[in-house]
Formats: sequence, structure tokens, C-alpha cells
Amino acid sequence: MTINEMTVMICDDSMFARKKMKDYILSLGVAACYEAADGEQAVENYKEYKPSIVFMDIVMPKKTGIDAVKEIIEFDPDAKIVMASSVGTQNHLKEAINAGAFEFLQKPISNDQISKLIEMITKGV
Amino acid sequence: MFAQFFGSFLLNEGLVTAQQLAKALDDKKNTKTRLGVLAINAGYMTAGQVEFIHQVQSTVDKRIGDIAVEMGFVTKEQVEELLSKQPQDYLILGQTLVNNGVLTNAQFEKALADYKSFNQLSEDDLNGDKTDKLDKIISDFYKVDGVDTVRYSSYLTLLFKNLIRFVGDDFTPLSASVVTCADYENMVGQKVKGDNSDAYTAICCDTDIYVKFAERFSEEKLDTADDFVNATVGEFLNLHNGLFIVNQSNEYGEEMTLEPQEFVYKTAVDFDKTTLDVPVAFSFGTVHFIVSNL
Repeated sequence: MTINEMTVMICDDSMFARKKMKDYILSLGVAACYEAADGEQAVENYKEYKPSIVFMDIVMPKKTGIDAVKEIIEFDPDAKIVMASSVGTQNHLKEAINAGAFEFLQKPISNDQISKLIEMITKGV
Repeated sequence: MFAQFFGSFLLNEGLVTAQQLAKALDDKKNTKTRLGVLAINAGYMTAGQVEFIHQVQSTVDKRIGDIAVEMGFVTKEQVEELLSKQPQDYLILGQTLVNNGVLTNAQFEKALADYKSFNQLSEDDLNGDKTDKLDKIISDFYKVDGVDTVRYSSYLTLLFKNLIRFVGDDFTPLSASVVTCADYENMVGQKVKGDNSDAYTAICCDTDIYVKFAERFSEEKLDTADDFVNATVGEFLNLHNGLFIVNQSNEYGEEMTLEPQEFVYKTAVDFDKTTLDVPVAFSFGTVHFIVSNL
């Protein structure tokens, strides 16, 4: 997959966090960048858009990021989900990985970390 | 971070006004520390000797360092040593206050000596951000009855580090007070849930300051306190609380979780548990950090 065929989804209840990440991700030249402001919307949007990679916060209203990961993985076991959270405690880390996330980033997240992950996806890792 | 507490000390001692301090914090990015202040700090020269050299320098075309060596106040090696070291932030603040005419060299010398002895700090302690010394300054500064000082000071030490890292270093921590209510125009609050009890944290201030704080953190130009500004200040609180609970989890194996933030506008909020209001004066205004039942 080339970068301009890729689609990304950002799930975070903070409009600010979404905007910062989206501005950078769009600058990399991806095909589309979707957003979700809570766990429920994250699951719905995933089913609709099937993005190539998902960045998922944990602390969100309606449904936590962890529960959203479980539901997305149930729907699509091959979903590529990166937890992007301010709460990288050991418990959260274990829960996220058990739920099916493949990577965990502690906020603040650098552009460098984002671009490496996106590059990984383009190489089909 | 010693610079911020040195500023706070100067303010509490009445050596500077809040306005003078705010101006100096703003000006200090353009300040270069000079040999006199460095030598006073290292204890190589007295303020009197520095003043004397400045007078001599106004009559001859020589560098301060050369005059100081000629006068026998310092050795050539000491001058080289002073000039080769990266100056600490509190010295840059001191130099700015001297440059602005707020402090004389003698007042700076005395204030620095008082500050070091008050906090039992050595020159070595001030080089770098030694966590144990910082923790002590912070726990002494925020000593309040009925408060778990260790826990509060590790929360606040991290807060000041995060402010420096993400918002700016031009602030002065002011004395905290125990409060039962927060009544500010804007507030972002977040519950921190622990095994046994829940803490509450918040950032509060009036609207124009709230927008400025958001501008700093987002690095964007913002005008009104809209949802984006709320989200920005909220994200700073979330980021800081997250780093705090990660530290607690790593150091003490304590597992805490965060809840989504809430935004309060022009409504007073009451607290029934011990609550600290920690004001931090930035050059654009004072931001209040609320920590309840941590």
C-alpha cells in the first residue's frame, strides 16, 4: 500500500488532540483522515470506513478506547489499532494489547512516532 | 525549575514586584549572563568588587574579565571556567533583574545567598534539576496541614516540569491556599480515580488568561474561549494527569484511572475534601491549579 492509498482514523475526545494529529497526518499525503470523538463513534466509523490504521485514545465518553478496540477487533481481526493515550500505566497497557491493539503510545505523541507507524503500515507490517 | 522558585522567593521577600518579575521573565530570553553575576554566584567576587570593576571599565577599554584578573580578584582559570559553563536559568533571571535596574549587584548577591541558605542549596544542587532538592523546595513551599505532602509535591513538581515543557518557563509559583470552593470564569476539571479514593484536579482562570494559556499549549492563534480552547486546556490537564498516574504506577505500583474532563463556565464549584489552590503567575496572567483529595 502506498501512502496516498492509506486511510487513517483518529479517535480522541479532545478536539485539540484530533486537530494536531490530523494536521500532521494529512501533511503526509494520506488518502483520507477520519475522526471519532468517543468510543461508540469509533466503532461505527470503523465499520463504515475500514481505515488502514486507527489511533485510539483510552479515556473517552460513552465507551472507553479499550472497549472500542475489542469491538473493532471482533468485527475485523486484522484491524491495525494503535493506542494513543495519556494513561500508559501497566494495567492499561496490558488491557490494550489483550484487546488487540498492536502498539501503545504515551502522550505527548511526536510526529516522528506517527510517521514511523504509518510507514510500517505502507510496508504491510 | 529553580528559576521559577527563585522568582517566587524574590517576590515573597518584597525584593521585586509582580510586575517587575513578569517583565523580567518576558525579557530574559534575550539576556546573556555577564561575568559579574556569574562570579557573584560562584562566590569568586563580591558585589562590591563587581561594582568597582564596572567603574574601572567605564574609564578603560578592557574586558571585565581582564580587569578582574589584573585586580587580583579572580584567576584567569576562574574566568575561563565561569564563561565556559552554560548559565543556569535562575542566573539569567537574576541578570535580567540587574539589567532592568530592579536589583543592584549587592541586592542580587544577598538574595541569592539567602535563597541558597533558606533552602540549604549548594552550588552543585542548583546545577541541573536535581529532583530530590526540587521536591524539598516544593514540599516546603506547599506545606499544608492535613495534606499528604509527598504526593502533592510529586504532583506539583511534575506540573511545573510540564508547564516548562509545554507552556513556557516564564512563570512564578505563588503561595497556595486551602480552599472549599473554586469560583473562576473558566474551569476544566478531571477526576483521577484511585484504588481507595478519588481525587479531583482542575485548571481555572478568567477568560482572557484561559485563551492565552490555550494559545501557548496549542501553538496556534486563538481569540475566543470556544470549544477548541476548552479542548486545548483540557488536553494539557489530561496529559499532565496521565504522566502523573504513569509515574505513580511505575514507582508505587498504584493503578489510577482518569475520567473525561468536564468544562465549567461561570459557575462556582464546591469541594468537601481537602483542596489546594495553587496559583501560578505567568506573564499573561495567573492560572490556578486545583488539587483536591489527592
